[in-house]
Amino acid sequence: MTTDDHIVFIVDDDLRIREALSELLEAHGLRAVAYGSAGEYVRAEKPDIPATLILDVELPDINGLELQRQIAEGDHPAIVFITGHGDIPSSVRAIKHGAVDFLTKPFSDDDLMSAVQAGLAQDRQLRLERTEIAALRARYKLLTPREREVLPLVVSGLLNKQAAAELGISEVTLEMHRRNVMQKMAAVSLADLVRMAEKLQIPVAHSRRVGEE
Amino acid sequence: MMTASRALAETEAERALRIIGSMPAFAWATDAAGRFTYVSPNTLAYLGTVQQDLDPLRDEDEFGWRRVVHPDDYDHVAARWRHCLQSGDHYDTEHRLRRADGAYRWFRNSGRPSRDSQGKITGWYGTTLDIDEQKQAEAALRDREHELSQLVDMVPSHLWRLSPDGEPIFFNKRMVDFLGMDVADTARPGITRLEAMIAAGVHPEDAAAFEGTLRRCLATGEAFAMRYRLRRADGTYHWMSSRAEPLRDQDGRIVQWYGLCHDINDQVHAEETLRQSERRLLQLVETLPAMIDCAAPNGEPIYRSQQLREFLGYHLEELDGTGKSRLASTLEAGVHPDDLAGVKEKYAHSLSTGEPYARRHRLRRFDGEYRWVETRAAAMRNAEGAIVQWNVICLDIDGEVRAQEKLRLAQESLARASQAASLAELSASIAHEVNQPLAAIVANSHACHRWLCAEPSNVARAKITVERIIRDANSAAEVVSRIRALFRQSVEPRTSATLGSVVTEAGNLMAEEAARQRVRMEVDVERNLPLVAFDRIQVQQVLVNLIRNGIDAMNSAADDRTLGIRVCRTGDVVQTEISDCGRGVEFPDKIFEPFFTTKEHGMGMGLAICRSIVESHGGRLWVEKNEPQGARFIFTLPIEVKAAQ
Repeated sequence: MTTDDHIVFIVDDDLRIREALSELLEAHGLRAVAYGSAGEYVRAEKPDIPATLILDVELPDINGLELQRQIAEGDHPAIVFITGHGDIPSSVRAIKHGAVDFLTKPFSDDDLMSAVQAGLAQDRQLRLERTEIAALRARYKLLTPREREVLPLVVSGLLNKQAAAELGISEVTLEMHRRNVMQKMAAVSLADLVRMAEKLQIPVAHSRRVGEE
Repeated sequence: MMTASRALAETEAERALRIIGSMPAFAWATDAAGRFTYVSPNTLAYLGTVQQDLDPLRDEDEFGWRRVVHPDDYDHVAARWRHCLQSGDHYDTEHRLRRADGAYRWFRNSGRPSRDSQGKITGWYGTTLDIDEQKQAEAALRDREHELSQLVDMVPSHLWRLSPDGEPIFFNKRMVDFLGMDVADTARPGITRLEAMIAAGVHPEDAAAFEGTLRRCLATGEAFAMRYRLRRADGTYHWMSSRAEPLRDQDGRIVQWYGLCHDINDQVHAEETLRQSERRLLQLVETLPAMIDCAAPNGEPIYRSQQLREFLGYHLEELDGTGKSRLASTLEAGVHPDDLAGVKEKYAHSLSTGEPYARRHRLRRFDGEYRWVETRAAAMRNAEGAIVQWNVICLDIDGEVRAQEKLRLAQESLARASQAASLAELSASIAHEVNQPLAAIVANSHACHRWLCAEPSNVARAKITVERIIRDANSAAEVVSRIRALFRQSVEPRTSATLGSVVTEAGNLMAEEAARQRVRMEVDVERNLPLVAFDRIQVQQVLVNLIRNGIDAMNSAADDRTLGIRVCRTGDVVQTEISDCGRGVEFPDKIFEPFFTTKEHGMGMGLAICRSIVESHGGRLWVEKNEPQGARFIFTLPIEVKAAQ
């Protein structure tokens, strides 16, 4: 019944909890893998598919919150915290750092499942975004240095004439570069290109509004 | 008639001779040349000689009586006699004569010449009188006078004499030597001798008092006595103690004043030094920032320092005449009623045994406020060891006592707070222990529900989950019953026992587990351990916990799986050590915190509860490194203090 398009990781030092959660997730048709400590989880080979991490706060080696902080740098699945004794500061901190939910044991089936599902959805979305950005980056790499200079000017909304003057080239040459940029980036319109530049976090160097301020 | 007159005349001559012979004196007569014409028979009898032997010898220069005159006297007697014979002067000498038995006695010899009508000396008549006793008396008198004058000069004091109107008449030699002047030197023009003496000798500061006192005595006849400084010849002033009394005649008139004066300079200086040191001591005692009290051997206060007088607000003398002893009055008036019995008892004990006294109690200040004081007393003893005085010091320690009381209250509230904190830890720990199986049960129940509701239902999986539910529910129930046991026992009275038996019990309880894990247990319990008051079940739980921790620590490690249990006395605690050869403790600071675990299955209540239990017994639990490897958990329990102490 379980499918391979997702996975739920469980990290808890209590075997009983690991067993029960795995069983519950499987009963819901979700694939689960359980680890007894943070270290085990970090070292494990994990499939690159949408995932959610159910993380116990009290762990033998390092605290769940500490693990959250450590893995925040890289790509990691959405985290659902579980704890035997939920305290407000810990939960606030966990949520602030992007946790999907913070559940106090014993928790209800619905709460856990909706948190897990939300986590998976969040991870899918993130993965999608990450894929799109990766594709954009690949296209951006195709641009020549001159084209990379042209791109921010164009998305800033400068007229061709203005942008050409900015770069000290002719308007004709600029129009050629602009066409190439649109083509290489596979942008259907200027608006599309602007959205791409935003995702690539290309700074808008020259705004017409600069002079108005 | 003729015959009768002649007979009468003869009788007259004979009678004259008889009278001369029976007179208590010797009589003699010589011719003009000094040859004896008559020597009374009693004289010859006394001297044991004959008249002819007394006459001059053939050698003209020598007299026959030379043999009877004392050799020391002969020369001047002979010289005088020759002179009288030639000049006719009266002859009067005193010399010693030798009696017939050889003894010399003093005699006065007197001779007068008899002359004829032309005035020519015809002969000499004389008498010799025994004056020996008189001479002896004179000599004795002389000797006595000599001794007296020697005495006067030799006594180590000044002796002086004044006339009735106060003029110096006599200074003894020592006084003359001291002053460097004699009475004669006090003769100065225009002033009396007394004034001169005062001016020269008495210290200017004492002069007026000296003269005034002396004048008053001279006027009234009262005895004179005073101390003053007298100038010595070298210019230094010496303290003198002087007395004088009048000598009165039969009519009561003052004839003379006799005075005695001795040098008391050293004594005065010693007294002054003593007085100064006494004054310093008194000042010390009076200014010491403590209250000082001295009491007689029976405890009756005899002195109180200013600080104590000021504190109490009354003087010692005010206690007299109340019918009670000073001590009893002081204690009853001053000591706080709650402390009085103890203080009295302790005082009585010290007074009867001589042991030092020390006690803290409240003492009433003059303003009615009771303040805490610490009183200490010790006996001062004489050379024989008998108590002569009690010296008491009393310190106002009210501030300290109150500060201590505050500290104690703060500590108590701190203890309560930490008790509350450990209660909070305990309840959190319990919640954790119960929540784990509960969470598993809830999750398994939902899973089971889903397996059963699936189309088709997965009974096999449902069965597995149900089994887990039962298992976890039992585990939760076990936790709960263990907690109940823990609380039930914690209110039961603690029993006094040695730890040995509990350690053995705990060891037996864990023996099976140890064998299963191939762990060897070495138990070493010191003999004759003192009693410890503890809750048997709680301490057993601590031991079981620590032993299981030790066994678990070694399950993944080491060829040498030895668990050591050692119980011994260390100072005033009994110390129990449980050592393993496992991996050791990675986080020694954190392992006693609740929820901190390094194990897959938390056992029982965890180290936090172990620590709570040990601390509730007044002991400590901590962990050290075990050598060469592993961990050593150590807990102490205080040795029971005997109720009597």
